[in-house]
Amino acid sequence: MQAADPQALAAFSVADEPVGAVPADVCLLVEGTYPFVSGGVSSWVHDVICGHPELKFSVLYVGSYPGAHGEPHYQLPENVVALHRVFCQEAALAPLDGAGRATLREQIRALRTEIDARPSSSRVLAGLERMHVRGEAGAEVLAALACNDLSLPELLHGRSSFQLLTTIAERVAPDAPFLDLFWHYRAIFAPVLRLLAAPTVAARCYHAVATGYAGLLAALWSHRTGRPLMVTEHGIYARERDMELARADWIRDEAGGISEPRSTWAPRISPLRRLWSSFFKGLSRIAYVQARHIITLSDVNRTKQIADGAPPEKIEIVPNGVALRGEKLQAVAETPPDIGAVPAHRLRVGFVGRVVPIKDLVTFVRACDIALGSVQIEARVIGPTEEDPGYASRCRQLVARLGRTNWIQFLGPMPPAKIYGDLDVVVLTSFSEGQPLVILEAYTWGLPVIATDVGACREMIEGRGDEDRGIGPSGFVTRVAAPKETAAAIVRLARDPALRARMGAAGRRRVTSYYQRRDMLARYRALYESLIASESTESA
Amino acid sequence: MAGIGWKLQRMIDHGSLAGTIAAYLTGVAVTSAPWLLTTAVLTSLRIVSRHATGAFEGVERFLTVVYAITVVVSAPIHVVVARYTADRLYDRRVDRIAAPLRRAAALTVVGFALIGAALVALLHLPLPLALVGAPLTAIIGAQWLMLSVGGGLMSPVVLLRAFGIGAPLSLFAALVVERAAPAGGAGYLAGFAAGQVVTLALLVRGVARVLPAATDETSPLWPAFVEYRLLALSALAYYVSIWADKIVVYVVMGGDAAAFYAAIAAVAWFSVIPAFAWIYVQVETAFYQRFRSFYVELEAGAPLRELKQHAELISTEAKRILRGAAAVQMAATALAIAAAPRIVAVVGLSPDATPLFRVAALGAGLQVFSLLEVLLLTYFDLRRDALVICGCLLIGVTTLTSVCSVIGWPPVIGHLFACAVSSLLGLALVRRRLQTLVLDTFQSQPFGAA
Repeated sequence: MQAADPQALAAFSVADEPVGAVPADVCLLVEGTYPFVSGGVSSWVHDVICGHPELKFSVLYVGSYPGAHGEPHYQLPENVVALHRVFCQEAALAPLDGAGRATLREQIRALRTEIDARPSSSRVLAGLERMHVRGEAGAEVLAALACNDLSLPELLHGRSSFQLLTTIAERVAPDAPFLDLFWHYRAIFAPVLRLLAAPTVAARCYHAVATGYAGLLAALWSHRTGRPLMVTEHGIYARERDMELARADWIRDEAGGISEPRSTWAPRISPLRRLWSSFFKGLSRIAYVQARHIITLSDVNRTKQIADGAPPEKIEIVPNGVALRGEKLQAVAETPPDIGAVPAHRLRVGFVGRVVPIKDLVTFVRACDIALGSVQIEARVIGPTEEDPGYASRCRQLVARLGRTNWIQFLGPMPPAKIYGDLDVVVLTSFSEGQPLVILEAYTWGLPVIATDVGACREMIEGRGDEDRGIGPSGFVTRVAAPKETAAAIVRLARDPALRARMGAAGRRRVTSYYQRRDMLARYRALYESLIASESTESA
Repeated sequence: MAGIGWKLQRMIDHGSLAGTIAAYLTGVAVTSAPWLLTTAVLTSLRIVSRHATGAFEGVERFLTVVYAITVVVSAPIHVVVARYTADRLYDRRVDRIAAPLRRAAALTVVGFALIGAALVALLHLPLPLALVGAPLTAIIGAQWLMLSVGGGLMSPVVLLRAFGIGAPLSLFAALVVERAAPAGGAGYLAGFAAGQVVTLALLVRGVARVLPAATDETSPLWPAFVEYRLLALSALAYYVSIWADKIVVYVVMGGDAAAFYAAIAAVAWFSVIPAFAWIYVQVETAFYQRFRSFYVELEAGAPLRELKQHAELISTEAKRILRGAAAVQMAATALAIAAAPRIVAVVGLSPDATPLFRVAALGAGLQVFSLLEVLLLTYFDLRRDALVICGCLLIGVTTLTSVCSVIGWPPVIGHLFACAVSSLLGLALVRRRLQTLVLDTFQSQPFGAA
């Protein structure tokens, strides 16, 4: 990750109003990542942009609400012609006093009178009904949404909107607390309406780096402009949201109170959770339907996408790639690791990634605690903590409670060059991953990896095809939320330096053979060229 | 108000006739006690003071004007203060009631003392009467304020006791002071004021007892006036409508006609006491419980089908109360109409007043029906609809009594039609709102605002 250059950023035109902007070759749509949040997806986006200097990119950042993101974490490359921001919510308002409440009340009354006087044949409402009541999310739903004939006040205060809510209540969630359903209905659809109303950013093709809100927006713009869309999914958006929903403590499952947050990722099905889940699945299907190419990182993810409604013929696997440490010095890749350089004292175990719940740092901490009972290790948590300070704080408290503050340290974000040189093993305990760059980066440094069996981790560690598997394992795969398994793998690597070296070498061979940045960029270049060319043909 | 509602319910739940009667008498006391007892005292004074009619007529005229003015002017203040109090009870922030109430009471006393001073000047009262009259106006204004706040906070027994002691005392003191120290009308007024002071003191003590010692002195009241301005306007319009017809008749037809008309209207107004009490008890008990259970279930996580059932129960209850109030009022009106010649004779009006009294009784009944509709709409927080009914009543009463007065028809006919129109409009609004209760509850909610 790169620090943003304030001067360069100041000189760059941040266009929140994209009217009249020069059309980019590619409009990259990202959700809650680049350039304001560091992490795997943001690094990938930055890499793709930098890797295609001949193309002009515009970046559309879909955020939660204005002010939620901080300063950019990346210096925007020169071939980015515009950075746009769209927000799903408005900034929180200050509490109202009596006069404010009275004024608001009158405004709502006037709105309701005005809204109820209009004919109630919104195509958007019809589309939302098809999506939520009939489970449809095809081209017709997208066409209905693209009409953008439903205003936010109509959604919030209109009679026909309330009719849809009651239909959902009766047919989809008959046992859900209606008060909760009401607020969830608003929370689900208000962001959608804000996205529908966002001015279209002109581009020769659209590339959504996820489904979800970014995918919806990309699909809408692609539909409205007739320009092609490509979707790249690192993780499977709908599945990741399902996992978050399973432990969300802001959804009331039973009447009488907000349920306690769950400590595991065990699936929990309740009407409201189902509503959200089907909404996110619907967003994914809309993006899949409109996309000309759906890019995924692994066979595992491809299977999940097909299960979620992606047409198989559109899906293509393009693995992530990293620049080899020795890309400038290619020979390094071929050099076997120096077993003698592996320290004989404490094993240096690294957790590299954002400190957020989906990375399940708790399991990492517990695994290290268990391993420390058998071997000498030194664990390092390397990555930003600001995204979820509460979770980071709970993790620190856990370390303190276990009495391991001397052996498990939080180092914050660091440049890759300073991370892996001081590590012996990299551990990932995530609940969900796409194709983690961290694993590839570790391989370039000849480090073995212990990772949970999510996303493409297994095929990255054990190999995808026969030839790949012939290289041998480059680490261990464990179950999700299984600290004992992770600890056992750490202990085994700590006690067996030769195994560590063999796995490190296998990883280096694997990344050299299958996960090179130049290959990934070449594939995307071809995809972009085909999209832009087909668009030109259509225009002609 | 939840507090008094539960007390009334407990009385009814005793299952005895005495308990039920006590509940309805409480309803009479809370809704009608001030004007009922005051009227009773004034009537008694008139009866026992026939020997001093000149002085007494001045006192009576002054008191009538004072009560009319205080009722009208203080109505918006009281409805806002009462709503503010109810909100703090709901928030469980009773500590935020005392300080704003003190400020409101201080302003009321000062404001009504000034109004009293203006009144005595306008009515050209002699100095002794003026010296008593101005403070008496302030006392009555403060009484209304305490009554509006205390109605929701304290036991109805305290209210009954305050007026039950104060009213006879007013009568007794008026007679004693007038006879012991022959000061003419000023003696009457001073005695009457003494009894009212006792009522006020008992009300203040009752309110003070239920408020906590620790108070939040920073709580402002003014934002409540802004927030509930439509309620305040509704109250103002309704109470002005009670007096507007008398003023119209006074302006168009002169003082004698106005006095005759006012006497008929005042006596006819007695026929609403049973309906008033019935409405009060039913709204505060059965209807409140239905209404409350809707929101309790809503917050407890009831699904839509259960909310619809609860909304249907509210609707059924509201219709039952409307039918019940209509039945009670029709019975009272029928009785009044049947007994009209006798009533007219008893109160000393000429037999010519009999048909007019019958029409006035019909109008009074419809006016109470409008009030019930306003109450129901206020329960649903449909303040604008409530204002529409009150506004309609005020405009109707003013316009139609004016027209009747001008064309030579009895003004009571104009009043009757105005009340009929407003009650029909109110009925339509209530029916419409009952059909969209769930929709209105949800789709009026703001979004993104705390």
